[in-house]
Amino acid sequence: MGLVVGSNPLSMDAVAALLVERFGADLEDVRIQEPDTVVARCAGERLKDVAARLKADADAGYETLNWIAGVDRRTSFEAVYHVYSWKTNTYLELHVELPRARPEVDSVTGVWPAADWHEREAWDMVGIVFSGHPDLRRILLKDDFVGHPLRKDYVDLAENHPHV
Amino acid sequence: MGMSERIKTARYPKLEHFSEPNVITTTADFVFSWARSHSVFPFTYGLACCAIEMLTSGFARYDIARYGMEVFRPTPRQCDLMIVAGTVNEKMAPVLKRLYDQMSEPKWVISMGACATSGGPFYDGYNVVNGVDKIVPVDVYIPGCPPRPEALFQGLLELQGKIQQHRFVPEKPAAFVPAPPEGAAPAAAEEA
Amino acid sequence: MYDHFETPEPDEAVKLALRRIEEATARGEGSDVDGLAFNEVVVNMGPQHPSTHGVLRLVVTLDGELVKDVIPVIGYLHRSKEKLAERRTYFQYIPIVDRTEYVASINCEWAYVMTVEKLAGMQVTRRAEFIRVITGELMRIASHLVAVGTFTADLSPLGTAMVFYMFREREIILDLMEELTGARMMFNYFRFGGVRYDLPDGWVERCRDFVKMFPAKLKEYEALVDDNAIFLQRTQGKGVITQQDVVDYGITGPNARASGVALDLRRSRPYSVYPELDFEVVTEQHGDVFDRYRVRMDEMRESLKIIEQCLDMLPDGPVQLGSLRAPYVITPPPGSAYVGQENPRGEYGTYIESDGSRYPYRLKFRDPCFCNLQLFPKLLSGNKIADAVAISGSIDLVLGGIDR
Repeated sequence: MGLVVGSNPLSMDAVAALLVERFGADLEDVRIQEPDTVVARCAGERLKDVAARLKADADAGYETLNWIAGVDRRTSFEAVYHVYSWKTNTYLELHVELPRARPEVDSVTGVWPAADWHEREAWDMVGIVFSGHPDLRRILLKDDFVGHPLRKDYVDLAENHPHV
Repeated sequence: MGMSERIKTARYPKLEHFSEPNVITTTADFVFSWARSHSVFPFTYGLACCAIEMLTSGFARYDIARYGMEVFRPTPRQCDLMIVAGTVNEKMAPVLKRLYDQMSEPKWVISMGACATSGGPFYDGYNVVNGVDKIVPVDVYIPGCPPRPEALFQGLLELQGKIQQHRFVPEKPAAFVPAPPEGAAPAAAEEA
Repeated sequence: MYDHFETPEPDEAVKLALRRIEEATARGEGSDVDGLAFNEVVVNMGPQHPSTHGVLRLVVTLDGELVKDVIPVIGYLHRSKEKLAERRTYFQYIPIVDRTEYVASINCEWAYVMTVEKLAGMQVTRRAEFIRVITGELMRIASHLVAVGTFTADLSPLGTAMVFYMFREREIILDLMEELTGARMMFNYFRFGGVRYDLPDGWVERCRDFVKMFPAKLKEYEALVDDNAIFLQRTQGKGVITQQDVVDYGITGPNARASGVALDLRRSRPYSVYPELDFEVVTEQHGDVFDRYRVRMDEMRESLKIIEQCLDMLPDGPVQLGSLRAPYVITPPPGSAYVGQENPRGEYGTYIESDGSRYPYRLKFRDPCFCNLQLFPKLLSGNKIADAVAISGSIDLVLGGIDR
């Protein structure tokens, strides 16, 4: 039979309640965004553990990673993880806040293999370091590009434009 | 005399004898221009969205074969014409230069679309080269985003016109005489 | 000046490939031919290559004809779209979103416009919703025509006639779209709250003519390849995507449905008027190249059904919110939203964060081909290089989306 979408359909309130009940200590500020996304915050140190438990959850296993975005919030950085649960057919948007001086967080490639390239892109564009990533190097920009372009304080450098 | 002796001793004009354009080389000009311009081998250098329009112009409705250019070769060593269709960015620029160098003379470049001409809608990107003419010399620019296949054909016909301007004995431009400086002119007139 | 005899410096990807060969030799995994411990060659496919469907570079480690490892290198079309979003107003950005997945650009606009409407809390007029579905499905058919056409063209260099016939039909779709929007490829047609132009006179009849005539053409295409023994041998059993891969790598769209996973965002996360429409989610069982081809062909038939239903159900009314024109400058309240939409290649979505100003604060694209491409090393290893070309054609990559 295989993979089925929505084998355990729960209402959004039930999903939010489940997350609060099982992950209450680690997930803060759990709120529902219509129509099918739960948004929550998580601390950087707890991310790997929370990710593994989210994936292994029996009722709402968040097994697929959709995307990871790096955001520059001027006073801090943020990594946004968007994961999908096949059983409940809902999404979870995890916001992980990281300090400005050292934006470092554990890599989740051990939990979700799809994180490989998404983390490389977040490193490339915003400069968030994912420790434990097997091969963290630039993916979209050329190898000797200087700087992280999607930071708000990025200034176009002459070294990045040899062909003016 | 036998045929081979007649050829060896015949006196016929050679290109080195001509210092000015004349009527004798016009047939050679015509034949070479006609052959080159009507059998151009384009190079499939489609990078982005314009590549799809270039592809479409090769297929059923807009048939590029009527101009003799349906032989799109993927290797630059067999091509005359590089149609740069799409945005060139800093990562792609060295590749473009290398492929251009691998083409053999005579070669021409068409910059197809707004991105290849001047950066297009992405002109202020941190990674975008504003125009492929910063890397290779361009012969024809085709504006559009993306240009319709008919616009591509107009560009190709302009290029055909440019190819047909080739002359074996070109007209030498007149010698450059600098304009006399302001003060000297009245003196020269007085002397004369 | 290019020196023809100079060996270029290996770059990061090639160095990685060479390092992996060294590590494998150290582990004793070399192929043992003629006493050589290792017989592998690192070959560069691209970024300019006839069969990579855009500027994709594959650093392929070959053992004879067998592909041992593939390192995809992307970024040759990176046009800094996400940074440009921070300097363009929401309205100015619509043409740029068009140019992401340029083969089916209406669907890209749709995802972006839906996200902004969700952020700003705007409704869409009912007639516009139906027109959006009609144009979206028309471009889905056009996109699948390009995908299947270029895929069969890869199998033998333009030796198959199928791609010529498919592009002929695609021209008819583009004629309809040009009459409606003014452009052949980059439509700039969707607006926040509706669409830009209403349907011209006679457009509905012309669309119905197309819907009536297209199924016969589909049969014509299938007659060309479905019974071809060489085609079947080259595509059946090759490049199998398992259901575990679908879960692990976030594969969506026809690539997932060909593996038996009935994931279609038009059903699982319905948007627009899809709940009122009757269509099937096409799946196949094996997940190989042939099944991906079959899913795309059958999806074109389902799209025709959808278009016909929409043409029948099309209501009257305005196509834009507000009195005359859609708003040019909108300032959504601070917040964030993500909307994923069923692109012909999978789930395409935009995540937009707004800080209350006219410009987005952060815009991130979720591109289906970026996620599908991660599977390449696993999918291509162990196949011959000719199969690698067939498999990469069947995944249907558009580099504009991968590189953004």
